[in-house]
Amino acid sequence: MRLNGVHIDDTFAEAFPMLGTRLVITADTPAWVQAAVLSMTGFATSVIACGCEAAVERLLPPDETPDARPGAAVLLFAMNKAELAKQVGRRVGQCVMTSPGSACYAGLHDGPTIPLGNALRYFGDGWQIAKRVGNRRYWRVPVMDGEFLCEAATAVVEGVGGGNFILLAVDRRAGLAAAQAAVMAIREVPGAILPFPGGVVRSGSKIGGKYKGMIASTNTAFCPTLRGTVPASLVPEGVESILELVIDGVSADAVAAAMRAGIGAVVGLGAAGGVVSVTAGNYGGKLGRYQFRLHEVMA
Amino acid sequence: MSGVILTPVEAAGPPIDMTGVLPDRLADGGRAALAGLMLVRGKGRHRLDALFDLQDGGPAGALVLRPGAAALDGVGAGMAAGEILVEGDCGAYAGSGMRGGTLIVEGDCGAFAAAEMAGGRLRVAGDAGDFLGAPLAGGTRGMSGGAVVVAGNAGDRIGERMRRGLITVHGRAGSLCGARMIAGTIAVGAACGPELGLAMRRGTILLSQAPEALPTGFVDGGANDWLFLELMRRELTDGGAWPVGFPTVGTRARRLVGDRSVQGIGEVLILSKA
Repeated sequence: MRLNGVHIDDTFAEAFPMLGTRLVITADTPAWVQAAVLSMTGFATSVIACGCEAAVERLLPPDETPDARPGAAVLLFAMNKAELAKQVGRRVGQCVMTSPGSACYAGLHDGPTIPLGNALRYFGDGWQIAKRVGNRRYWRVPVMDGEFLCEAATAVVEGVGGGNFILLAVDRRAGLAAAQAAVMAIREVPGAILPFPGGVVRSGSKIGGKYKGMIASTNTAFCPTLRGTVPASLVPEGVESILELVIDGVSADAVAAAMRAGIGAVVGLGAAGGVVSVTAGNYGGKLGRYQFRLHEVMA
Repeated sequence: MSGVILTPVEAAGPPIDMTGVLPDRLADGGRAALAGLMLVRGKGRHRLDALFDLQDGGPAGALVLRPGAAALDGVGAGMAAGEILVEGDCGAYAGSGMRGGTLIVEGDCGAFAAAEMAGGRLRVAGDAGDFLGAPLAGGTRGMSGGAVVVAGNAGDRIGERMRRGLITVHGRAGSLCGARMIAGTIAVGAACGPELGLAMRRGTILLSQAPEALPTGFVDGGANDWLFLELMRRELTDGGAWPVGFPTVGTRARRLVGDRSVQGIGEVLILSKA
């Protein structure tokens, strides 16, 4: 398939089931929202080493938050419920509760739950107060600038992690411009996040490596500097830069929509923008439950 | 299926105990089952259709009571589902022990309304008597769930030994409001009588004006912003349960904590006008 001069590889992105939740973080100002969520979603690029994958789904205006203040919706994904609960508890406890004026609410309410305020309330040392408002329960924890308000629990959804596409560009500048265009487009898609820095991965990996104990190592097939050196290099002539976008979503539809939006933005720049082709990462279809075929996504 | 309208045949006389006259009785057995219910009035037991004139009408599945001058006790007592509309006043025990459904009283109701209520909604357009949401006589626990909204004033000991749920009184509350309260929320739109929150352990009493004197056993925690008030305002405003006298914006309130004489950490929040 060729779109606007960009070759779309006939391959698929292989993705995995993950458990995820959405949290809504609010604060007095957008700047303090940013402070809380940047801290909370830091070091959350890959479950391989970070325990979870997390990023801001979108910023929320005051009329979309429970307490009429600026906020952000954050998505977090982990491989199982216990790990997700642990990561949520630690990250909200260390990064949101500590942030001045913050509050934390569940962004999902249907389905099984994990503790949110129910785990953090003990910080109140007996002075915490449970408060039911409507059908929802909150914890009010006294802190040094007043009170930290946190919903008791948040629901968990079975999402999809590891949706991806890889763009091959003539040089680093063209690759980065295309990747950034894709990031901007994907951030408009509800229910999907890009957990890596700025939404982009430059050090894609393959499973294992030559050294003992390495779970993953550099994706030699896509390293332009190794073309001609490693067997089975997938870097064509004229390609100097390759970037990957990894997508997690609350559903397969959300991931597919994000891939469509991202690839669409790349294709929008076209060959004139220095993009040679778009491909995707997979493990031969043997590991992941989900397969997103690029031609079907872009059909 | 329409609802049923019940009008007392004889208004004069002792109160009629309406315990058991519930919408689910109508849903399960139809009008005949309702008509055959035995009710106590004074010293005697009577079939319902001997005491009331029954007519079809009102919302589907609902009971509509038109008490006129008759005293009806225990209206909606123990109700689990459905709707009862009282086009007039209720006697004592309206909605006591309710577990679900909706009871709407277009007039006043007497003592022990919503006593030991566990769920559902009670809405009173007029005034409520003493022991609103409190334990029944000899009981140890008050309201444990549900929501009560009184558009007028309420008597003494509202929310006594309350453990969960919401009581909103748009007008004044009598003495001992929230006495021995365990948890839950009481909102009073106008003045409260003496001994507010006496022996209160936990829970929240929201006021629009400060009590004349600091309640016994309470300490003044000063003013601050309480974010949960914004959530509560949004929730209660939608249901008409945010008292008229309460501020419509802002989350600032002065907090009194007590009753410390019983190691309580309940709170009286006096909401500030923005």
